[in-house]
Amino acid sequence: MMVRAVTLALMLLAAGCAREDRRDVLTFSGSAVGREADVLRTQLARFAAERGIRVEIRATPDSADQRHQLYVQWLNARSPEPDILQLDVIWTPEFAAAGWLLPLDRFAHDTADFFPATLEANRWQGVLFGLPWFVDVGMLYWRTDLFDRAPGTFDDLAGGAARALRDGRVRYGLVWQAARYEGLMTVFVEILGGFGGAILDEAGAVAVDAPAAVSALTWMRDAIHREGIVPSAALTWQEEQTRFAFQTGAAAAMRNWPYAYALLSAGDSAVAGRFAVSPMPAVPGTGAPTGALGGSQLAINARTAQPDEAWAVVEYLTAPEQMLERARVVGQFPSRASVYEPGRGLEGVLGIDPAAARDVVAAARPRPVTPVYTQLSEILQIRVHRALTRQQEPAAALHEAAREMRALLARSGLAAERTTEGP
Amino acid sequence: MSRWVARGAAALVALSAFPLAWMVVASLAPETRLFDAGGVWRGPFVLDHYRALFDQRDFWVPIRNSFIVAGSTTVFAVALGAACAYALARMRFRGRYALLAFVLAVSMFPQISLVAPLYLLLREAGLINTYPGLVLPYLTFAMPLTIWLLVGYFRQLPADLEEAAAIDGAGRLRTLVEIFAPLAWPGIATTAILTFVYCWNEFLFALSFTLGPERHTVPVAIALFRGQYQVPWGQILAAAVVATAPVVLLVIAFQRRITRGLTAGAVKG
Amino acid sequence: MSASPSERREAWLFVSPAIATIAAVAIIPMAWTVWESLHLHDLRMPWLGRPFVGADNYLEAFGDERFRDAMARTFAFAAASVSLELVIGLIFALAMSHALRARALIRVLVLMAWAVPTVVAALVWRFMFEGPSGVAGSLLAALGVVDAGFSWFVHPVAAWVPILLADAWKMTPFVALLLLAGLESIDPSLYDAARMDGAGAWRQFREITLPLLRPALLVAVLFRALDAFRVFDVIYVMTGGGPGTSTEPISLYTFTTLLQHLRFGYGSALSVLVFLTTFVLALLYIRLVGRNLLEAKP
Repeated sequence: MMVRAVTLALMLLAAGCAREDRRDVLTFSGSAVGREADVLRTQLARFAAERGIRVEIRATPDSADQRHQLYVQWLNARSPEPDILQLDVIWTPEFAAAGWLLPLDRFAHDTADFFPATLEANRWQGVLFGLPWFVDVGMLYWRTDLFDRAPGTFDDLAGGAARALRDGRVRYGLVWQAARYEGLMTVFVEILGGFGGAILDEAGAVAVDAPAAVSALTWMRDAIHREGIVPSAALTWQEEQTRFAFQTGAAAAMRNWPYAYALLSAGDSAVAGRFAVSPMPAVPGTGAPTGALGGSQLAINARTAQPDEAWAVVEYLTAPEQMLERARVVGQFPSRASVYEPGRGLEGVLGIDPAAARDVVAAARPRPVTPVYTQLSEILQIRVHRALTRQQEPAAALHEAAREMRALLARSGLAAERTTEGP
Repeated sequence: MSRWVARGAAALVALSAFPLAWMVVASLAPETRLFDAGGVWRGPFVLDHYRALFDQRDFWVPIRNSFIVAGSTTVFAVALGAACAYALARMRFRGRYALLAFVLAVSMFPQISLVAPLYLLLREAGLINTYPGLVLPYLTFAMPLTIWLLVGYFRQLPADLEEAAAIDGAGRLRTLVEIFAPLAWPGIATTAILTFVYCWNEFLFALSFTLGPERHTVPVAIALFRGQYQVPWGQILAAAVVATAPVVLLVIAFQRRITRGLTAGAVKG
Repeated sequence: MSASPSERREAWLFVSPAIATIAAVAIIPMAWTVWESLHLHDLRMPWLGRPFVGADNYLEAFGDERFRDAMARTFAFAAASVSLELVIGLIFALAMSHALRARALIRVLVLMAWAVPTVVAALVWRFMFEGPSGVAGSLLAALGVVDAGFSWFVHPVAAWVPILLADAWKMTPFVALLLLAGLESIDPSLYDAARMDGAGAWRQFREITLPLLRPALLVAVLFRALDAFRVFDVIYVMTGGGPGTSTEPISLYTFTTLLQHLRFGYGSALSVLVFLTTFVLALLYIRLVGRNLLEAKP
């Protein structure tokens, strides 16, 4: 009886070891929720019909941090799948430096059409590892019935939000993503830029303990706890929760990505027709309106069994026609500058005038392009969130963060001149 | 004193049972009622979440994975552990106490301390995200567990069993099969049950050494439901009920045995 | 302990497969962890190679505030959960030793809490404290313990409450059973004698029960402390270590270092430090319990 049991166990284990033969099917891993999933499936089906290459979509969590963790897990375990990966803009240098991505230079000959900042974010040591797929820029959404004009300064924004709160017109003044995740960094980068600061300065040295950064973080904390214009619940919110708050008319202003525009204009939105978008505010003179550069790139697994087929998919999905279709269905900004020209079909699709959109994208600021960005970000996230939850004073939090970040850069053998931040 | 204590205990028992009861009831509540603390009990009761669990999420897969991994580990661990425990409990040889202490020491290894080397080892062998890639790490706690429990059981059997059999002229093998095994069988069964439960509930290794739904075990699958931006509590609760059901059934069926096994000495908590 | 050579050989034959397996999957990897902890090995930065760095990782750990905090937090959690479980477990055990008819029911309920996967326990308790309308959260708000709409998992200290409750809910049954075994070994005639001397229930408890229960209490404390120190599942699932890192125990920090930051050298050093800490606790346990099991009859 024992012998039989052991044999059965061995057989089961052997069955588990066998891997199916999966030629002719590629796996694509990326965001597969809602309209994004729809348009992706449509495009991949078309691709399959035209080229005879089937691509399976492997779902990943919607949260970027969790998708990152999953990718790290798969790629570090040397899994040959997924073949094609949708990467967040900040991941390319990290994965490239770890040796997990296929260099694309031998495939991608014509890259002049892509926005320069997006390409730079995808290069590591001069080699291209990812192709920009669509671009995201942080923007300020504001209620046209509560603000006279677009809030250009932080005082305008705070003042208008406070007024709306006082008048009882809204439940929240301003909402943003303040959960302890990467989204918090995009918000922080934008407010930081508005105060004239940066995470890394032009020389690539850590600058989060500079006075501008302390002012920015203090402003954010006071907006929550002193002015009360930002709800403390926002400290657990990501993009969807903030969109929900604004969409139901509960907030006077919101910081979010372009994807929200189409949803806010839809029939079931309480604020349809009563909102507008503009760049984030800035301190006049010292800061500049800053939109964080987000968006996705397509990259190929270094251990893929089918590199040429994978490139064919990537090339197809990043072609202008597919980008236009994606913009129409999902409202995501194309990463090719030529698509924004008049007559290409982008009018009335993005919610803002294509020329204005292109300018916003061209001016978007990437986060630091370094393989250790996620680690830098985590250090900063923890400290910033601590300051925002009043566990620590902003100055002390940023000082400690800067110290750890400098130690990390030194330890990684990444000399300051190797890291670049945007224009 | 006894009435006062008994009342306190009754309250604690009720408190103890409440979360499980709540879990079952809430898993049957429609999506809109989930957070309506009072309304959940009133009904209606729907099977939406369970249906979604198996239709949309293919929950059969983690269940299958858990059965295979827990089952295989139990078979190996009990087979090897029984032999080892027999020698430790009923044979005399030098180094017996040292070995027992050694086994106990290994059972104290914090799991987290083994993740790094096991990961690198499994990766080199190409065993990440496979069944053997989980069974091997599981043996790190399953083997000491089975040895320890079985030593406890075997020691309780009559000491002169082997002597009597030897006097009758039976060889070692016959003694084992015809005399010892029937008496030891209840202890072995209980050990198998306890080992299975531990493997079924294991989380850290399963989280570290599997990559995707095709090999996730039940605890990992449920824990990772929380990936979506909107936490699907209905399905999570339904999955929790499904995950707990086999274990609960085992416990109810073998409660007497298990209690004795748990109190028999050094069991991992 | 004299045995014939053939019996010795036989014994080793029985024992070797198991011991070999344990050596392969536990001892060798543990030794490797120690070796790895002396190197710099960051899997995300392969250009740095795998140089030997001696005690650098350990020095970094001692200077790492996140590590020190995690250790302190883990000890505090162990102390809190063990105390909680001891008190509740004792009440349970006393009840079980008295209420003979309800024993079977209590045993089943108690064992179910033990057998439920920790992940499930964590999720159920999270659900009960989630948001403004989680059943436990709203109950506590109704009782005035917290404000209505209090967000348990956002508050760095309050987040520990559901964690402790989930852990106690899952682990108390085991403590109760251990203590029950201890209670049942107390000679009932002692209580009869005390009652005849006029001692009340409380005095009986204080002067007979507690002292004679001390060995079992000690076993329970050490055992639970060892386990509580290694806590991972319940916190990973419930808060992920958050808000920030305010509920991050040492095993979660080690896990993050290894499988998220891919710093295998540093993570191995953390692993070794966790191992050494549990080793000290385990030594205490072995000295107290191990010998009893080998020498005495259960």
